[in-house]
Amino acid sequence: MSRHFRRRKFCRFTAEGVSQIDYKDLETLKAYVTETGKIVPSRITGTKAKYQRQLSTAIKRARYLALLPYSDQHD
Amino acid sequence: MRHYEVVFLVHPDQSEQVPGMIERYTKTITEGGGKVHRLEDWGRRQLAYPINKIHKAHYILMNIEAGQSVMDDLTSNFRYNDAVLRNMILACDEAVTAESVIMKAERAEKADKEYRERRAAERAAAAEAEADESEDDDSDDSDE
Repeated sequence: MSRHFRRRKFCRFTAEGVSQIDYKDLETLKAYVTETGKIVPSRITGTKAKYQRQLSTAIKRARYLALLPYSDQHD
Repeated sequence: MRHYEVVFLVHPDQSEQVPGMIERYTKTITEGGGKVHRLEDWGRRQLAYPINKIHKAHYILMNIEAGQSVMDDLTSNFRYNDAVLRNMILACDEAVTAESVIMKAERAEKADKEYRERRAAERAAAAEAEADESEDDDSDDSDE
């Protein structure tokens, strides 16, 4: 029953017609991880399921190559 | 023959070996009848988290077309080369030749740095010239 007007969520990747989310595109990926390094759920971001799956593999690949952190508690 | 995207991280102390490694790998690939479609050297980058207590690594990206035997060679090479911290091989559908986003960012950064250095040098030169002038003024004052 929030009285706030919430801006409609939309999927950036659908809007831009992205064919494949690239694990090297760090600027894009960073927008979909929290400060602690977790992947932001699609229910928050509004990303379509197809792209959320691509996004999660892309983020995981970037993490493996130490392009993105797994968490904020690395020493 | 399939298309692959290969990324590997080299120990920063072994950075000088990188051109040799690239040459060696390119040779094995081309000798095996394959092809290197894209080769990018991202240089030494800060790691998002330390690997083996190392905070920086030299990144190399290769998009190649190669047969299974060549890939076996490459993977065993990566495994037994102590200089390679980490590697990732992905199968691709097609040859990718466009410049990657990271390389673009890297290049933009370099250009920016060069520009800033040039500006700083110019400013330093200007400041020096000004200092010389003021020195002249001082000498004028002392004369009086």
